[in-house]
Amino acid sequence: MGSTFAETETAVAPPRKKTSALQRLKQSFDIGSVLLIAVIAIGGYNLIQWSRVSTLDFGIIVDYGPALAKAAGMTLSVTAVALTFGLLIGVGLAVFLELPIGPFRYLIIAHIEIWRNTPLIVQLFWVHFGMPALTGISTTAIQSGVIALTLQSSAYLADIASGGIRAVPQGQWDAIKALALPGRTGWLQVILPQALKIMIPPLGNLAVSFLNGSALLGLLSVGELMTVATRISNFTSKPVEVMSTVALLYLVINLFISYLTNLLERFAGHRYDAV
Amino acid sequence: MMQFEFSAITRSLPELWIGVQYTLALVFISLAGGIVLGLLACMGRLLGRGLLAWTCVTYIVTFRAIPEMVLMFWIYYCAPLLGGVRPSSIIAALAAMSLTAGALLAEVFRGGIGGVPRGQAEAARSLGLSEFWVWRSVILPQAFRIMIPALLGVTALMVKASGIASTVGVTELVYQASVTAGQSYRYLELFTAVGLFYFGILFPMSMVAKFYERKLALRAR
Repeated sequence: MGSTFAETETAVAPPRKKTSALQRLKQSFDIGSVLLIAVIAIGGYNLIQWSRVSTLDFGIIVDYGPALAKAAGMTLSVTAVALTFGLLIGVGLAVFLELPIGPFRYLIIAHIEIWRNTPLIVQLFWVHFGMPALTGISTTAIQSGVIALTLQSSAYLADIASGGIRAVPQGQWDAIKALALPGRTGWLQVILPQALKIMIPPLGNLAVSFLNGSALLGLLSVGELMTVATRISNFTSKPVEVMSTVALLYLVINLFISYLTNLLERFAGHRYDAV
Repeated sequence: MMQFEFSAITRSLPELWIGVQYTLALVFISLAGGIVLGLLACMGRLLGRGLLAWTCVTYIVTFRAIPEMVLMFWIYYCAPLLGGVRPSSIIAALAAMSLTAGALLAEVFRGGIGGVPRGQAEAARSLGLSEFWVWRSVILPQAFRIMIPALLGVTALMVKASGIASTVGVTELVYQASVTAGQSYRYLELFTAVGLFYFGILFPMSMVAKFYERKLALRAR
């Protein structure tokens, strides 16, 4: 009988212990970690220069709050623009890599490898100071910043996208062939939507790393968070307060992006299962 | 349009060489520091719960989410509050890079150890191996093989991050290149050369990482 089997299973399972929040808190304070934390706390207390800490004035953050918020918005929008264009270019390149295009594929591979395997700071200087000598067109700081970020993100995203495209099950490709779907329909309605869902987790990581990378645009005084932070700390000569706040801002934004990615992954994954 | 002048590169080779030395020193020292911090954080996180594990998770999450450049400036300005002395720019850069490398490597180590099938450790224990030898000869060798691509990835990230140390004034490659380029206004030539140098280091690394990834994927099948 089916019911007896179910009964034995429930009987074997151990009874669940109910632990109160207080008990769980007590469990987490094991002696080793308490000792370690105590040592760190005592050492830290003696090392910290309290006379200097007492001179800190976080009030200036309130004064410069609007400026910092605006700059954070600028950081977000620069990153978003670069990632959006990068995604379009990257997916395009990844699709081209799957098509029979002969020697052009080596050009695409070269683009991907060159922009993936050089530091962003070098690319930034190269685009801002080097490219005008090559093309004769000089770009403003923000244009150079967005161009460099876009080019690098397009390379990373092309790599991620071709991974995503290759991860689409073979049966889907067979189905396109069996239904004789035209190429455009097959790509836009069958392959790419599935590939994009597979791409969500690496996309989230990439968004975080490019948000961090955008801090480098501060070198060209673009007007994003890092530029404004250095300006304020130079003007007020209170770098500790400003840099701590800015680090915290980046942290919060990045954690929020990771959280959103998790949500999106769950949402998209759910839909994927339902199909 | 300007001419591409190779002599601009050869002329400043001595300065660039100093930069290369500093860059390599930054990468190797920060990786060494990162491995120590990463191992500690990984061990702490493997405890699973408790205050110590919680501290390690906070460290890992925090230092992966703060930009290298902000971290370098932050340490440069905030270290006097902790020890009373202002660190030199290279110490600040090294501290920031080690802390980031530690947070990244902790996750790499954890992924490697978690990637070893549970049955391996169970089999070793049921054969009567002591806990030391279970780790020494069963778990860690396999975990290391799984970690190779990710370790190369972190090394590549540190090579890229070393360029950011120029923002706090460490005389590494990017700094040297921008100073010499500023004198002659030969940015195109110098930064092409610098880019090629980084590419020459990073491209083989990513190729090896891809090779190992493919090998591991084949084995897993």
